[in-house]
Amino acid sequence: MTVNSQVLAYIVSEESYSDKAVIVKEGSVGDWVYVILKGRVKIKKRISGGLLTIDTLSEGNFVGEMAMLKQSNSTRSAWAVADGPVILGVLDSVRLLQEWESQPAKIKKLISNLIQNIEESTQKAADMIEASK
Amino acid sequence: MTKTKGKIPPVVTLNYSNGDLIIKEGDYGISIYEIISGKVGIFVQSGGTETSVAVLGPGMIVGEMAFIAGNTSTRSASARALEDCCLEVWHPAMLLNAYQKMPEVLRLIAGQALKLIVRMNKMVVELSLKQGQTMNRQTQELSDQWTKERKFFRKMVSLECVFRPVNSPKNLKFLGQIKDISKGGLQMTVKTSGLLNCTLASGDELFISTYFTSNQKVNMTAKITRLQKGKTGGTVSLGMVFTHMDPNDRKRLGFFLMP
Repeated sequence: MTVNSQVLAYIVSEESYSDKAVIVKEGSVGDWVYVILKGRVKIKKRISGGLLTIDTLSEGNFVGEMAMLKQSNSTRSAWAVADGPVILGVLDSVRLLQEWESQPAKIKKLISNLIQNIEESTQKAADMIEASK
Repeated sequence: MTKTKGKIPPVVTLNYSNGDLIIKEGDYGISIYEIISGKVGIFVQSGGTETSVAVLGPGMIVGEMAFIAGNTSTRSASARALEDCCLEVWHPAMLLNAYQKMPEVLRLIAGQALKLIVRMNKMVVELSLKQGQTMNRQTQELSDQWTKERKFFRKMVSLECVFRPVNSPKNLKFLGQIKDISKGGLQMTVKTSGLLNCTLASGDELFISTYFTSNQKVNMTAKITRLQKGKTGGTVSLGMVFTHMDPNDRKRLGFFLMP
C-alpha cells in the first residue's frame, strides 16, 4: 500500500525509528497522528506477563489516530512499536483536529463510537487471553 | 417515491423488547441506530454458535460499520435488545453527504478503524470458541429464542381507510382508522355505529384500501385475528394480518415503513 497523496499533504515532519523502538506508549497522553512512510509498526496491548500484538500496520496506515478520534480523552490505548526500521510522517495535528472538530456531530459520534468499540473489543480479547493463562 | 425524492427521511424512534433482533448479521441494511435507553448486545456468528462481542448502552451507536464500509457489504454482526430498548434510527442519507465531503484523510482513518474492529471481533470470537464453556456463556448455541424472527417494525399512524368483508357486495363501504401498520399486518379501529347491521368476527377477511400519501392508493386483504372493544365506547379494535397484497402495494408499504 502506498501513501495517499492527500495524506502526504498533511505531513509536517518525518521521524525515524529503529527496530523495536517505542513510538507510542499505552496510557500516555498525546494526540499526534502518524502515517507510516516506510516499514512496519506493531500495535500491542499490555496483558499480565507481556504484550499482545493486536495489529501489524504497514505503509500508508495511520498510527495514533485513535486518541484523536476518541471523545473521552486522548490517552493512548495501545503501544505502537517499530517492527524493523520505520519512517513515519507526522501529520499536521492542528489542521487534522480542526477538520475533525468541524465534522457534523453525528459523523463524529459514529466514528468515535467505532473507536470505543475497538477499545472494548481489544480489552475483551486481552482479558480472555489472560484468563486462559 | 417521487414525492420523497431528495427529501431527507425524518429521525424515527423505535421500541424493542428484550430479546428482539435489531440487526441481523448477513443482511443488507443501511440504517444507523443510537441507543436512547436500554442495553444492546452485539453478536457475531461462527459455525452455528453466536458470540457476544460487545454490550452497548445509551448514547452508543449500532450499525455504523456497514455505513463506514460504504453500504456495500452486509451487516457484520447482529444486534439484539438485552432489555426493553428505545432506539433512534438515523437514515444514512442524512449522513452520507457529510461523510463524502469529509477530508480523505479522515475517511481513510475511519476505514482503518473499521478493519481493526472487524479483526478484534474475530479475535474475541475465536478466543471464546477456544475457551468454550469456561467463559461463562460468552458463546451460546443458537437456539430458537435467539434466531427468532425480527419483530416487524410497527409504524404508528392515523390513516383513514375504507373496507368491506371479502365476500360482501362491491358497493359496500365501511370506514375505519388504521392505528398502526407493519409488514405483517395492521391494527384499526372502527366505529360500531358505522357498521350498521354488519358484524365482524375473528377470522373474517376484509378488503382494505387507504392512502399512504395523498395520491398513492394501496389495497390490502387482511384477516381479523383479534377483536376488542375500544377503550372509548362505541368503537371496536381489529388486530389483522395480511393475507394478500399486490407486489406494487407491498413495495409501497415497504417504502412507507422505512424508518
